[in-house]
Amino acid sequence: MSNTKQGASTKIKIRTKDVIAIHWFNAFFWLVLVISGFGIISGDFVRLVPTAWSSFMQNLVGGNANLALLHGIGGMVWAAVIAIYALLNARRVVLPFLKNVLVLTPMAALRDMWSMTVTLAHLFGLMKNTPVPPQGRYNGAQRLLGTMIIGCSLLIAMSGMYLFWGPKLLSFASNPLYGELFRWALVAHQAAVVLVLIGLVAHIYFAVVEERESLETMKSGYAEIAFIQHHNPLWYEELKRDGKV
Amino acid sequence: MVAKYVMLADTTRCINCKACEVACRAEWDTPMGFTRDWVKEVEYVNAKGLPEVQLFPGRCQHCDDPPCVEACPSGASWKREDGIVLVDHETCSGCELCVPACPYEARWLNPVTNTISKCTFCQPRIDKGLEPACVQTCVGHALIFGDANDPNSVVSQLLKEKEWQRLVTDEVNIGPNHYYFTDGKAIPQEVMPKRNEHYLAGTVIEKVLNPVAKLGLGGMVAVFALAGVKKLVDRRKQVGIQEGNHEQH
Repeated sequence: MSNTKQGASTKIKIRTKDVIAIHWFNAFFWLVLVISGFGIISGDFVRLVPTAWSSFMQNLVGGNANLALLHGIGGMVWAAVIAIYALLNARRVVLPFLKNVLVLTPMAALRDMWSMTVTLAHLFGLMKNTPVPPQGRYNGAQRLLGTMIIGCSLLIAMSGMYLFWGPKLLSFASNPLYGELFRWALVAHQAAVVLVLIGLVAHIYFAVVEERESLETMKSGYAEIAFIQHHNPLWYEELKRDGKV
Repeated sequence: MVAKYVMLADTTRCINCKACEVACRAEWDTPMGFTRDWVKEVEYVNAKGLPEVQLFPGRCQHCDDPPCVEACPSGASWKREDGIVLVDHETCSGCELCVPACPYEARWLNPVTNTISKCTFCQPRIDKGLEPACVQTCVGHALIFGDANDPNSVVSQLLKEKEWQRLVTDEVNIGPNHYYFTDGKAIPQEVMPKRNEHYLAGTVIEKVLNPVAKLGLGGMVAVFALAGVKKLVDRRKQVGIQEGNHEQH
C-alpha cells in the first residue's frame, strides 16, 4: 500500500485517523477539564483564576459539588479512554511514539534544550548564524514538551483519582496521612496542569502561527514531503531509507 | 437591611456550668470528645495578689474576613450575607486546609462525617426565628445573640450600653463578630487568637505554585504574542519589498 496520497505525490501519510482522533479527544478534554478545574478551586489563598470564574462555573452547573463531580467524571473518562487506546495500540502507535519523543538522559535533554533555545531565538531574529540542529520526526522542543506532558498526565490522572475517590472511600479522621496525601495531591495536580499549560502556549503558537502545516497534518494525516525535508531532515532521510518517499 | 448576627458573652455572668456545651452537643450530635463551643478558664494572680478566674465562652467568631474561607480549596467554607460562616458538607473533602487557618481553633475534622465541623450560630434554628441552642440554655444569661443591624435588638442596645471587647491583636484582626464583656478587665493572652497558619501544602500553593503559574503562563503568552507581532511586521516588510520590486519591473 502506498503511503502517498493518490493524485498528490507531494504529500505523505504520516498519521492514521485514530491517532488524529485521540489527539483531538485529548485536546477537547484538556480544554473542558482545565475550564472546570479552575472553577472548582475557590479559596483566595489557593485560587489561581479570578473569583468571577469560579462563581460563573459553579453557578452554571448548580454548585461546586456538581462541578467537582462533572470534573471528576470527565477526568476519569479522559484517563480511561487514553489508557485503553494506549493498551490496544501499544506496539503500532504508543511504543514508536515514546521511542521518538521521550527524553530520558541528561545529554539528550541538553541537546534538546539547545535546539529549543535556537528555535526560540530565531523567532526574535536572534542567533541568526546558528542553525537549528537537524531534527528527526520531533524537534527538541517537541520532545521536551512531549516528555513533560506524558509525565504530567500520569501525575494528573493519579492525583486526580485520589482527590476524587480519597474523601469518598477513606476516613480522613482515622489517619492524618490520608489528609496530608490529599493536600499534596492537590499541589501535584495543580502544578502538573500549570506546567502543561505553560508548554501548550508554545505548542499552540507553533501549530497556529509558525508551522501551519503541522496543524494541517493533525487534521488530514498528510504532510508535504518538502516540509519534512526542510524541517525534519533526519526523519526525511529515515523515510527515504525505508522507501516511503 | 440585611441582618448582621453577633454573639455577646458577658464573662461576669458565666459560671462555667457547661450547659452551653451540652446543648450544642445535643443539638448537633457531636461525636465523643468533640464540641463546637467551649468555656476557657483562665487562672491568674490579680493586682492584689489574690487568685482569680476568668471564664471565656468561645466558638467560631464568624469573622468579617474569615481566613478559613480563603484557605478552603473547594468553596465548601463560605460566608452568608448575614455574616454566618458555614460549611457545605456535600462539597467539603475534609482536607483540613481550613483548620490551622482559623486563629480561634474553632474547626475540627468530624470523624463521623469526615467533613469539617464548627459553630454555625445554629443557623437552621435562627432561620426559624429561634435562638442558638447555647444561648437558649445559658443559665446565667451570659450569652446573648441577635442582629446588630437592628437598632431595636437587645444586642444593639447592649453594645451601646456596655464596653465590649473582641478577641483581636495587632497581628490578628479579622473582624470577629463575637463580643466579650469583662467589666474592664484585660483579656488574658491565653484566649487571644493565634496567628493563623497553613499546612505546608497550602503555603506551597499560595506562595510558590500560584505566583510561578501566573508568571510562567503570563510570560509565555507575552513572549509568543511578541513573536507573533514580529512575524507580522516581518511579513509586511517582505510584502512591501516584493511590491516595490514588482513596481520597478
